[in-house]
Amino acid sequence: MTANIYLPSIATVREVRPETPDTSTYVVSFDDPQLRESFAYEPGQFAELSIFGVGECPIGIASSPTREGLLEFCVRAVGTVTDALHDLEVGDKLGVRGPLGNSWPTTEIEGKDLLFIGGGIGLPPLRSLIQYVLDNRDRYGAVQIVYGARSPQDLVYKEELKEWEDLPDVDFHVTVDAGDDTWDGAVGFVPPFLKDINPSPTNKVAFTCGPPIMIKLVVEALEEMGYADADIITTLEMKMKCGVGKCGRCNIGDKYICRDGPVFSFEELRSIPGALEV
Amino acid sequence: MEDKLQELVVELLGDGAMEYFIGYRQGFEPSHVVPCFVTDKSEADRLIWGPLCLQNLSKYVLQARDLDGKVGLLVKGCDARAIVELVKQHQIERDKIVVVGVPCEGQVDPRKMEQVLGVSMEQVTDVEDAGDEFLVKVGGEVSKLGKEQVLRDKCFYCKHPTSFDYDYTLGEVQPFTIDSESEEYDAVEKLEELPLEERRAYWLKQFERCIRCNACREVCYGCYCKECIFDRTDPRWLDRTPLPRENEIYHLIRAVHLAGRCIDCGECERVCPVNIPLGRLYKKLQKDIAELFDYEAGMEYDTVPPLVDFELDDQDPFL
Amino acid sequence: MDRKKISKADLGRWLDTIAGKYELIGPTEDEGIIQFGPVQSSAELTLEYANSLIPPKSLFFPPVESLFAFRKRGEEIQLEETKPLQQDRVIFGIRNCDVGSLSLLDRVFCDDLEDSYYRERRERTTLIALACPTPPRSSCFCTTFGIDPLSPAGSDILLTDVGDVYLVDAVTDKGEELVALGEGLFAPLTEGEEKELQPPPVDMPQLDVRELRERLEALWEDEYWEKLSLPCLGCGICTYVCPTCHCFDISDVGSTSDGVRYRCWDSCMYSDFALMVSGENPRPTKRERTRNRYFHKFSTFPSRYGTGYACVGCARCLVHCPGGVEITEVIKDISAKEGVSDR
Repeated sequence: MTANIYLPSIATVREVRPETPDTSTYVVSFDDPQLRESFAYEPGQFAELSIFGVGECPIGIASSPTREGLLEFCVRAVGTVTDALHDLEVGDKLGVRGPLGNSWPTTEIEGKDLLFIGGGIGLPPLRSLIQYVLDNRDRYGAVQIVYGARSPQDLVYKEELKEWEDLPDVDFHVTVDAGDDTWDGAVGFVPPFLKDINPSPTNKVAFTCGPPIMIKLVVEALEEMGYADADIITTLEMKMKCGVGKCGRCNIGDKYICRDGPVFSFEELRSIPGALEV
Repeated sequence: MEDKLQELVVELLGDGAMEYFIGYRQGFEPSHVVPCFVTDKSEADRLIWGPLCLQNLSKYVLQARDLDGKVGLLVKGCDARAIVELVKQHQIERDKIVVVGVPCEGQVDPRKMEQVLGVSMEQVTDVEDAGDEFLVKVGGEVSKLGKEQVLRDKCFYCKHPTSFDYDYTLGEVQPFTIDSESEEYDAVEKLEELPLEERRAYWLKQFERCIRCNACREVCYGCYCKECIFDRTDPRWLDRTPLPRENEIYHLIRAVHLAGRCIDCGECERVCPVNIPLGRLYKKLQKDIAELFDYEAGMEYDTVPPLVDFELDDQDPFL
Repeated sequence: MDRKKISKADLGRWLDTIAGKYELIGPTEDEGIIQFGPVQSSAELTLEYANSLIPPKSLFFPPVESLFAFRKRGEEIQLEETKPLQQDRVIFGIRNCDVGSLSLLDRVFCDDLEDSYYRERRERTTLIALACPTPPRSSCFCTTFGIDPLSPAGSDILLTDVGDVYLVDAVTDKGEELVALGEGLFAPLTEGEEKELQPPPVDMPQLDVRELRERLEALWEDEYWEKLSLPCLGCGICTYVCPTCHCFDISDVGSTSDGVRYRCWDSCMYSDFALMVSGENPRPTKRERTRNRYFHKFSTFPSRYGTGYACVGCARCLVHCPGGVEITEVIKDISAKEGVSDR
């Protein structure tokens, strides 16, 4: 962060990778070489991206700090700022303010088996941690990834998914709500798909990110399988503006999603009035 | 009259004729009257009536849209015009509302009363209607104030001292006139006489104070859009920043949207925390609409506001 | 510093001296509204006021302010931070409820992610509080929240009107510097005056808030919120006149090549405040929004910042709410609510 918490740093788009018809990955680097060097973040943190004259919007950092150099953001065009981000081309400038928020736990889960359950555009925030774990492979146990999207073309990171599928120490499962001619994989929603896989809760921590309805059903499924609330970890989404716990918008109970989140365990969420109504 | 009102409300709630009744109660101090939502018979004794029952409660009937049953409300003659318009503009079915008409002989403008008395309304412990004057109690002393000194502007030109459309009524009053030194459109005409630039400067200075609390919009019966143009984010027509330019657009758009529908209830000006003379702006619209279309909003059920209606032979030189 | 006095006739001279060195801000009246604003001379000030409509939080956290300007020059984007102040300031006439609110806002804006705009304004401002007139307004209830309208706590100088003179308590270095500017205008109190010149005690209704937070937290699901929110019109007055509310919005004005990023006050009572672009709204009706506001004041703010309640009893919302939602009634209702355990 800069000394002025509202002042973004200027960055340049180095690469644009279309992921789905409405989602692209933007690979950016700060213009200030010193900042490129010093910018430190943890997996799960986010940044406020600025298109000057349009506004700011919070986007999770999809890359892992273990892979030095560039920052990746996976952006779906859903509003004015994300639409404007989609107009960016390689070489264009944008503002980046961050890193913001808390992060996925990385030390507390050492030695544990890890289960990642992503839906649609919920994979990028998980991917930051997945990459981190793969780059620190010996600190963690077995890795299981369950991913689903509406259709084959709505799957993000199509190349990387193949790599994960081929990794001997990753148990990878993918499904789509509705298949097409190109698809010979599983078809069906993530929660029942997960139940079929029936991953054991023993010594395991589950991370889930995706549309609210998917998270709700995934958590129900995990609880049925015997996962404890403390071992189910997710990210919450609320409307944000300042990103630094001041503008009063993104609270649930006495927590601001932008500062105390976005990462919460279900154990924490159950203790906050109204948190599970969101 | 309060007894009669309270009895009626108890009866109507008891019959299940309505889910709740909206009237007035005393607020934190005697001169502060606020809306009162009576959901249970036991609360009916909080209802009051008097010359400080200022608020036009009609906006609240829109909340009945989400209810199975009806809502009842106390309606002054002037406020009945809002009910008429809401029904005409298809915002609510008339049979969702139980209108209890109340005879009104004029409402106090607290800002005028403070000026005349030279004390804050905080010290006024009672205001009683006594025909041509109000009996005002301050610190145990009762003084008489001629109505012409302290009436709300709109009361000078009151056309319906009793609600003309009601399901129940608490009585009737004859139309009355209060002598006033000024005519209905004097303030508007004075502004109209100013050169365009001075007129604009006048309004810009007023709008500059606006804090964009939206109270004028929220209290207005006519601001019922499901998504207000000011709240749209995509595209964003108007920024929320209370900068002079944005404030000007805010008030002018609202004025244009209300042209032909404004019923001159004066609520926008009354609730404005920074005293912007919005009544004057809306009075100008009312004057223009009357001159151009011979129309006055909310006076009867079988006409349509001119700007929400069209005829095939309408002139369209601007197209 | 020992208590001093200044005659009413000399107050203006002192303030004018201050105005020569600082930006002087104080209560003025315009269009029937009391507001705190900059003045060139003490003659522009009014002393006939209970309090301002808009709380002086606006002088630290303005209704609208530029954060920075952006300019595109060729390929480059230049950002220019806005300087919040040109000159050191003195605020004269602030009341103690509003002084109390600043210590609450400090917790929000000066935590470990510090808001440099707010911080600079706080650091470069000296507060001359003016003890409240007696009797207080009938709506006032600051003592409920432990605020003493006659105490210098939180300000740099407290002036207390005791007839012909003001008592002067300078309690900080900044305060003493200002007193030093008025050489010859201040006199020490004689022993007799120490005893004699006392402001009359303040008599104010005191609400019971001892268990407010616990009782409130037990009411999260209660139907009370539905009923309470019925008369709420959904405007932002309560939040804009509140000295402790701090919600804001950030938006860009201008083009993509030349413009300003502003922040402006926003209100949690607005229906679109927490509305997400997906169309989901965690606080979709007035019920949830009203509940959120009172929880913020009496539960989540104290819990988050380890403070007392985030209300200073200034009664502005009480007086100005067009729907008549009265915070004092809410406090009483919660205290009287049956079925909520007395702990």
